Amino acid sequence: MELRAALEEQKDRLGHCVHCGFCLPVCPTYIQLGDEADSPRGRLHLMRAVVEGRLEPESDAYQLHLDRCLGCRACETVCPSGVEYGFLLERARALAVEARRPPLPVRLLPALMARDGARSVALGMGRVIRGTGIPETMAGRLPTTGLWGRVGLAMGMLASSRPSRLDAGSDAGKAKTRPRNDPPSRGRVAMLTGCVQSGLFAHVNRATRTVLEANGWEVVEVTGQGCCGALHAHSGRLDQARELARVNVSAFTAAGVDHVISNAAGCGALLRESGELLEDEAAEAMAKSVRDISELLAGEGREPVRGAPLPLKVAYDPPCHLHHAQRVTTSPLRLLESIPELELVPIPGAEECCGGAGIYGITHQDLGGRVGRRKTDAILTTGCDVVATGNPGCQMQIGAGLLAAGERIRVVHPVELLAESYRRAGWS
Amino acid sequence: MSTTLPLVPSLPLALRGKLADVVGDDHLITDPDRLLVYESDGLTQYRFSPSAVILPGSAAELQEAVRILHLEGRAFVARGAGTGLSGGALATGGAVVIGTARLNRILEVDPANRLARVEPGVVNTELTRVTRPHGLIYAPDPSSQSACTLGGNVAENSGGPHCLKYGVTSRYVQALTVILPDGRSARLEGASRGWRGPDWIGLFVGSEGCFGVVTEIEVGLIPEPAGVRTLLGIFDSLEGAGRAVTAIISSGILPAALEIVDQETIRAVEASVFAAGYPTDAGAALVVELDGVEEGLDAELELAATCVRDEGASEVRIAQSDEERTALWAGRKRAFGAMGRIAPDLLVQDATVPRSRLPAVLRRIGEIGDRYDLTIANVFHAGDGNLHPNLLFDRNDAEELARVEAASREIMEVCIEVGGTITGEHGVGIDKRGYMERVLSPEVLHAMSEVRSALDPFGLCNPGKVLPDELPARAELPNEPLPALDAGPIEVESDRHAAALLAAASREGVSVVIGGARSSGAPPGPHLRLSARGLRGVIDHSPPDLTVTVGAGTPVGELQEALLASTQWFPLDPPGGGATTIGQVLAGGLDGPLCTGYGRLRDHLLGATLVTGEGRVLELGGRVVKNVAGFDLLRLTVGSRGALGLITRLTLRLFPLPAVDRTLVWTIEDPLEAARIGMRMAATGSPVAALEWIAGEFGGESPSDGRLPVGALVAARLHGNRPSVEAMARTLEAAAGVGPRVLEGEESAGWWERRARREGTGAVSTVVSTLASRAESVAEATHRWVDLGGRASLHLVGGGVRLDLDPAGERAVDRARALLDEVARAGGVTPAPSPELSGVLGVFDPAGILPGRWRESWS
Repeated sequence: MELRAALEEQKDRLGHCVHCGFCLPVCPTYIQLGDEADSPRGRLHLMRAVVEGRLEPESDAYQLHLDRCLGCRACETVCPSGVEYGFLLERARALAVEARRPPLPVRLLPALMARDGARSVALGMGRVIRGTGIPETMAGRLPTTGLWGRVGLAMGMLASSRPSRLDAGSDAGKAKTRPRNDPPSRGRVAMLTGCVQSGLFAHVNRATRTVLEANGWEVVEVTGQGCCGALHAHSGRLDQARELARVNVSAFTAAGVDHVISNAAGCGALLRESGELLEDEAAEAMAKSVRDISELLAGEGREPVRGAPLPLKVAYDPPCHLHHAQRVTTSPLRLLESIPELELVPIPGAEECCGGAGIYGITHQDLGGRVGRRKTDAILTTGCDVVATGNPGCQMQIGAGLLAAGERIRVVHPVELLAESYRRAGWS
Repeated sequence: MSTTLPLVPSLPLALRGKLADVVGDDHLITDPDRLLVYESDGLTQYRFSPSAVILPGSAAELQEAVRILHLEGRAFVARGAGTGLSGGALATGGAVVIGTARLNRILEVDPANRLARVEPGVVNTELTRVTRPHGLIYAPDPSSQSACTLGGNVAENSGGPHCLKYGVTSRYVQALTVILPDGRSARLEGASRGWRGPDWIGLFVGSEGCFGVVTEIEVGLIPEPAGVRTLLGIFDSLEGAGRAVTAIISSGILPAALEIVDQETIRAVEASVFAAGYPTDAGAALVVELDGVEEGLDAELELAATCVRDEGASEVRIAQSDEERTALWAGRKRAFGAMGRIAPDLLVQDATVPRSRLPAVLRRIGEIGDRYDLTIANVFHAGDGNLHPNLLFDRNDAEELARVEAASREIMEVCIEVGGTITGEHGVGIDKRGYMERVLSPEVLHAMSEVRSALDPFGLCNPGKVLPDELPARAELPNEPLPALDAGPIEVESDRHAAALLAAASREGVSVVIGGARSSGAPPGPHLRLSARGLRGVIDHSPPDLTVTVGAGTPVGELQEALLASTQWFPLDPPGGGATTIGQVLAGGLDGPLCTGYGRLRDHLLGATLVTGEGRVLELGGRVVKNVAGFDLLRLTVGSRGALGLITRLTLRLFPLPAVDRTLVWTIEDPLEAARIGMRMAATGSPVAALEWIAGEFGGESPSDGRLPVGALVAARLHGNRPSVEAMARTLEAAAGVGPRVLEGEESAGWWERRARREGTGAVSTVVSTLASRAESVAEATHRWVDLGGRASLHLVGGGVRLDLDPAGERAVDRARALLDEVARAGGVTPAPSPELSGVLGVFDPAGILPGRWRESWS
């Protein structure tokens, strides 16, 4: 009942909701289902009903509708009253999982990520399977429903995590011999290497380091960092999330850097919110220094140094935890615009969630699939060569969606494109 | 585990099964816990849990569900996005909620005819998002437009900041498909779709879901204004801002929006996370938005800025970019949310008062706030006199809640006292039922109640809304003897006189003809003939409010004369010109070419007095610009041609006289080429006052040197300030490729008057609705009519052709009839059959003595 008290403490935050309904049309589950209980306003109403003692946390209604939330926080962007939905959702979910133990697959992933050893084994296996090329072959050939649908999605996601060769322009892959860029020194930064990011997206981490250095940032190695705990916080395992967050706060604080950099939107959002999560000053101070990689390169009045032309048609899809949770909306676009000859094409409804949300597509196969297909369809209208998005979950989800649709469009992190542009300029 | 179960009769299993069969298990919700989220809409003071929610995926599913609920005697209520602020979508008495969220398809966008066909669950802004690439927008913009649905907008007759210039939802709805409370489907079409009869759409729009559930909506779109200017004036006092509004209106500008926020609101916004940079010591801030032809805006802006400065603004900010425009609006648009941040609960009132009374009313609201020790923050649509006092409180403080309720009631009383109404745009719903008796007479309440019973005899469709449960006693009917019949028309002298005559006729079962035989035909047998000719003259004109009340027998020309001194007018050029009476225009649904730029008379009709066939006097509407208190019986009188009774007087919303009135006339040898040129002009989207294709002899002029009937005219009427009129003229001339004859000022007005006087005078005289996109083929068919010696005038924007002919002999009449059919075929509009709603007419004419009952058809 401690958790219930924790939610009850948030009565004022819940009270900010004036029931105006502005969140309904931007909520991916409401768009799909049309049931107000699957809208942010509806979920807040259910939370409030629990606080008022009119609803039990173990009730089907509370469990079902809170579980169905993707946690994209698009509602926060449009809320005229500034309701902190994401914050409330985490506390409400903590109460929900305490009241009813979630099914095994839902418990499995956070458990795996919290343990270093188990995580490296699992992600190592993932890399081996990915290396066989089987996932790519299987994705798109399996049925889309039932167990095989889940396997197909998992395979698609795995396949989409592999490094992409960016074939563009006549001089693809040929490094030009140009004098190495010698930027002014801007400061020292530490990078959150992440769990999935370091396990499956090591190439994104390498690209991040490359572009940081090319832009004059000294990247400090920080050992002792671990999983950020976002996955745990989002699924209501707040205690575990706090444990993991404490580890990172002390590791990064000890490093004494100007900024802590994240290249994964979900992780960055959690780091930024560690102050609220841990309710202590050190965490608050660390949180203030957190930046998304795109902000450091192309935000706050900075411009990335220009590399060689990369004549690609790129569609940028903003990860929800960057766009809505961190409100980082323009710097990824500025970053991409700085690449010579790169053409940015807008995705209709870009600010809508892709349906990734961790392993939502596997736990909510039908709904996640519908949300994902909406994104895939929108991307296919753009005629792009490459999709850029700054979050591993989104990269995998969108990649799997495109593979399932039989498309060969690659999904990359924006810094991969910038790094490629620098590589062609002969700087790395 | 125990869950608090609301006291709601649960749905019988058999009924659940039937509904699930229709909408599917996934779209039927009966778990009381899951239903909790539907217990409130945008108004959270009330909680009513429904017994079930169904989410139909098609109009057919919705219809079948309503049919089942009707057969089972189960109450139901439609719900869009649940953003309403009067509790209109609450499931009182355990009603079943019919959610329209899944009916969210835009079925058709027809740019050539500026039309869109949508399902009711489409979100307001989504429609404009889709039509904007065609240069078109959907004009009504309620503040909740990013969330609210068009179905909800239809139910509430929604307004918004820009309705000062563009009007409310009712003006834009052209056709509706409605599932009536008994599950039958009815197709309601407006004048533009060929309907000639009572304005059913007007009645249904704003009926708050009590007359059925809409499944398809056809709306008109407007060209997106080419330019926008936004100005923010900061004032030390609210009075200063109020005076600036009056000054702007009097200067002859019609702004797109005029919005004021008061000091409390500014402080709330600035204290919140949404700080907009308004000075917190300011007494009020006024947002003025102007839109229209780019070239004319700077002069208007200059004029508006002068008004604002002259009335004592301490600061004037003008937006230079879209971002700055957003910033200037921020304090207004974020106000509601900001208040949610500073107080746990919020009660928003929605009263409308005559604009000239705004300063006095605001002072009194301030006093009420002080007296009850409450924070009242005012946000309002100043141009419309539509106030939104926000009372801030904490519902857990019972004593404070009581003070809020008392203060709220007092505010309402103040607004009513000055001639205002209880709701301008939020609707009555459940919240304002208690005030209905204060603004509507017992007669009107009874008429509304009877109309509702005629449409929903079992009271299943959104029960417990709009009307109070108990109605006040109504007056006795007059009991005077019936005068001698067929002694010529009797000129009605007063409401009482008309009531006595109609009550007598009703009692004796004697048919009544109102106005000339021309408008309603003649019944068989002896009958009473009434005329409103004697009810002539202006009764009240309030220039600062831009309103006028006139007797129904007042000729249009006489009204314009009377208004001239105030530099105001009512834009109307009906067939027959200035000699046609206002009452005739209303009852006949007669509008002229000016409806292109200004809308129809129905769109500016604020009030009317109707003496019903039974002899009851109904004061419908009022003197305020926005009014959604109760069902819109007022709109039903438009085009009713005597079917409801006799209209004795009308109140109209006026317009400032345009600075420049210019007419461009092109004489084109080939009538089809003329139509093509006209269509090119229409396609420019220029905000013309009128744009007509005219053929045949008219107004003493001939298209080409007296040789009749050769060629056709294209005539455009342009209103505005000089730069905008000149810019529009250049645009049209470029589209035409040849130069026109130019008439200005009195010459321009006189030209249209002469033309109008020849209209509606033929032995065969009618209007055929046509699609604007078919102008060329309509012109082709029409020209054969002209060959026969007829006259024709086609609206190039919006469609519709008026035809007059004096056929010589029987054979010519037959040919004329055949030609009319041809024109109709070319026009592509098939008028829907008359909907089965005759029960509604019975409310006004229980004895069946009026033309609505004995006339065979409306066409």
